[in-house]
Amino acid sequence: MDLRSLPPEIGKAHSDFAGLLEACTDLDALLRLKGAYLGRDDSFAARMMDTLKASPKEQKKELGIVINALKNQWEEALKSRQSNLEELRRQRAAMSLIWDVTLPPPLPSRGALHPLMRLIDRLADVFRPLGYHVEEGPEAETEAHNFDGLNIPEDHPARGSADTFYFQKHTDLLLRTHTSPVQVRVLKRLAPMIEQKGGIRFLAPGRVYRKDEIDPTHSPMFHQVEGMLVGRGIGMQHLKGTLDYAMKALFGSSADIRFRPSYFPFVEPGCEVDVRCPLCSGTGCRVCKSSGWVEILGAGLVHPNVLKFAGIKSDIWSGFAFGMGVERIAMMVSQTPDLRLFFENDQRFLAAMGGMD
Amino acid sequence: MRIELQALQREIPTITGMKTHELCECLAMIGFPVDGTDTQPTAEVLEVDVTANRGDALSHRGLARDIAARLDAPLSPIPVAPNQESEALLPIQLETDACPIYSTAILKLDCASANQTPADTQAFLTAMGSNAKGLAPVDASNELLYRYGHPTHAFDADKLKGGICVRWAKAGETLLALDGVQRSLNTKDMVIADDSGPIALAGVIGGDSTKVTENTKRVLLESAFFAPQTVRASARRHGLHTDASIRFGRGTDTSFVKTARDLLADRLTSWAGAELLGAWTVGQYPSKPPGAALTKKVLHRIAGEPIQLDEAQKILLRLGCQAETFDDTLNVQPPSWRHDLSIAEDYAEEILRIRGYDRIEAALPPFEGAPEPLPRSYQQKRTLSRRLTQLGFYQTVTLGFISPEADARYSGDSQESRTLLNPLGLEYSVMRSSLLPSLWNVAEANQRHGAKDIRLFEIAPVYKSTADGPVETNILGIVWAGFIGGENPLTPIRPVMTADLIAIARDLGFTGNVNLIALAQNAFGLEIPLDQLAEPAEKVIPTFQPFSRYPVVTRDLSLLVPLELSYGELESSIKSAMTPTPLQDIRCVDVFKDTRLTAEGKQAWLVRLKFQSSERTLTGQEVESWVQIAIDAAKPHGGILRG
Repeated sequence: MDLRSLPPEIGKAHSDFAGLLEACTDLDALLRLKGAYLGRDDSFAARMMDTLKASPKEQKKELGIVINALKNQWEEALKSRQSNLEELRRQRAAMSLIWDVTLPPPLPSRGALHPLMRLIDRLADVFRPLGYHVEEGPEAETEAHNFDGLNIPEDHPARGSADTFYFQKHTDLLLRTHTSPVQVRVLKRLAPMIEQKGGIRFLAPGRVYRKDEIDPTHSPMFHQVEGMLVGRGIGMQHLKGTLDYAMKALFGSSADIRFRPSYFPFVEPGCEVDVRCPLCSGTGCRVCKSSGWVEILGAGLVHPNVLKFAGIKSDIWSGFAFGMGVERIAMMVSQTPDLRLFFENDQRFLAAMGGMD
Repeated sequence: MRIELQALQREIPTITGMKTHELCECLAMIGFPVDGTDTQPTAEVLEVDVTANRGDALSHRGLARDIAARLDAPLSPIPVAPNQESEALLPIQLETDACPIYSTAILKLDCASANQTPADTQAFLTAMGSNAKGLAPVDASNELLYRYGHPTHAFDADKLKGGICVRWAKAGETLLALDGVQRSLNTKDMVIADDSGPIALAGVIGGDSTKVTENTKRVLLESAFFAPQTVRASARRHGLHTDASIRFGRGTDTSFVKTARDLLADRLTSWAGAELLGAWTVGQYPSKPPGAALTKKVLHRIAGEPIQLDEAQKILLRLGCQAETFDDTLNVQPPSWRHDLSIAEDYAEEILRIRGYDRIEAALPPFEGAPEPLPRSYQQKRTLSRRLTQLGFYQTVTLGFISPEADARYSGDSQESRTLLNPLGLEYSVMRSSLLPSLWNVAEANQRHGAKDIRLFEIAPVYKSTADGPVETNILGIVWAGFIGGENPLTPIRPVMTADLIAIARDLGFTGNVNLIALAQNAFGLEIPLDQLAEPAEKVIPTFQPFSRYPVVTRDLSLLVPLELSYGELESSIKSAMTPTPLQDIRCVDVFKDTRLTAEGKQAWLVRLKFQSSERTLTGQEVESWVQIAIDAAKPHGGILRG
């Protein structure tokens, strides 16, 4: 296109056009550019029209063709740029509505169950398939339930005020030292209907108190889970079968148990139960003191005196009972170094150890 | 109990070749776990755990007896030459049945001042953790105690005033004991007394006035049986858990009384060249305890397998019992050293113990009777705990006792019936009446550790004082403190508000008045007794309720109301005015409190009314008339429609 017949400023404007068009990044700027080139007044197009008007007649036709071509070129370019910018605006508007999936989303809050409570729940779940339900008793107990009914002799040291917390105004009341008084309560309650029921099976989890100072391995309050079954013809083999099942359910199918003779006044025979060290699988480590076994609970066949105290005929009915320390198991499986952590309730500890169910 | 390996081997030579860990395993499997070992230059010592019922096992001989029964191996004979009983050289009187037999001897000592205890005995005593005194009567008595489990005592015979009497102490009597402490005695203390008064607390500790010293020329030996209950009571009363009281307190071997005296006399003769002046015994051996009849049926039930009665009998004989079979029954009598065997079950345990608990088969018990469902109170706790964790709360476990001060902070209940007699300290002395002091304590600790959003709960009993004692109720305590949000782009951070905790209470189904406690700025506590929360429904799925399939019509009312008006009041007025209308829901969905309004003592509420009929589609006209009822009901409260 020959622009020499137009004023030099038009030539310059045309050569600038592409750059200016490119520089327009929004529709307003584009509109301003359009006004400057193609506007009715004082635009380059208007000035070209002035030039045309003033040009000699014989040149008008040729000049008109040049001017029109130039205007068309500008118009086309502006239109195309406009639709590009409009498309970009639509895209951005759409994008602004999209949530960046890599941003942190507003998660529902998460707390945590206490690890001890979670372990107790798990134990209840483990024993449910065997038909055990849950029984709970009071923490403030009578001597009759906590000691007498459990065949614990009158002068047993555990009854002393060095071991057991008593109430000041009600000296017959104490804070239960184990969950075993629940045995006494349940046996007494169910004794009249034991025939109809065909036996008794339950788990008794709960808080217990002993007069120990707080240190890394002792607490004046801790948790136990007691289990009891009364039926006809119950022997040590049934205790072993039950605990073998329970420990496998708790620690995995390769968990192995062994019985060692021991003594608790409310059972006869009595035993302590070891589980193959879950940390070293029995090869010997710090937790099992190189023995390959860790003591996990005390158990035995219910002493006939306990049944008699509750009014159950011990020549017809027999049973077993077992009791485990929840903290002890929790510390063992988690290798938590200090018992006090369970009672400090630091949210960081609870989040890491407790989780949700 | 400390057990020295060579001394144990002396009692049961079979174990000499046994590796220590095998011996430990053997002991554990018969009920005596080894807590640790202590290897010394001249001795290897095992720390053996002996249960409270087995006083007979608190000696090398005692443990050897059980090992021998387990391994079916012979015990060494006890090297003793019985002394001829002589005439009494001194009057000895037994005034109580709690001391049925008292055996004694008087010996003249030669050069008692020199250390005549043999070196190996001194080493043995060191291994036992009891240093040799260098006085033959004392060291020999201690050695016999650790070796055979039978405590003996030696008095300086020249310091005795008159004869000896075993009797109950008289009120007001005192004893200066060997530990240098003067003790007041009561009438339940059994004492050894001479004409001057008590010279020993029977079975517990000797007296200072008659103690053996380097200058002792003549000793009077004491070997007796003291009733376990009496010794236990005195030991506890005086806080004197001595080697002697622990053994007498659990029961010693009734038939070993003379043997122990003779062993002691023999040691004094051979170590120190003592001369026996006379040995005699007062009283009778206590009568044998009754035996028990163990039937085949009971044995088979307990063992879970048909153990032959003759096998059972052999085991009991190995343990020193007398056992005879008669048809299907074993009639058994315990040995004189066992005080823990009385009923058939005791003997069944002995048979299983010596056979090995590892031989018990595992079998699941017969499933008789229908199982019971989990109690709803337990299910409720479980459901609540799980829901609260989903709401961001952490379950805590705190001690049931707190300080009287902390207890009084949020509760006015009397502490009288809730106070412990023997607490660990004042700060642990009251059974709490509220969970909030404990929870707030935990919250503050978490705050100190930098936690911003603290959400805690505990489900535990609290106590109330009554004339009959403390009454326990299970309660849910919740504390929410600090700030929430600020952890993602959509949830801005803000302080915790009362509304947050009210929302939790409502979420848990609590419909009552929410009694919030402001614990600190942005920190609130709430307690709800569990019996005020719905227990899980008995029905898995509730009874079908027909629901309306007609459209809901919604109208919003913008009401200008006095600043002091309670929304609840307004809502209940509107609700009661609208009883005849099919009002389905009414709620305030927005609150305006700009400065212009509040300056005039006003605020504005956007109240949304929803109507729905279960029979038909509602017309606009009738809805408008109901809305008018609502507007009219707001008027008496000073509420007007906002222009």
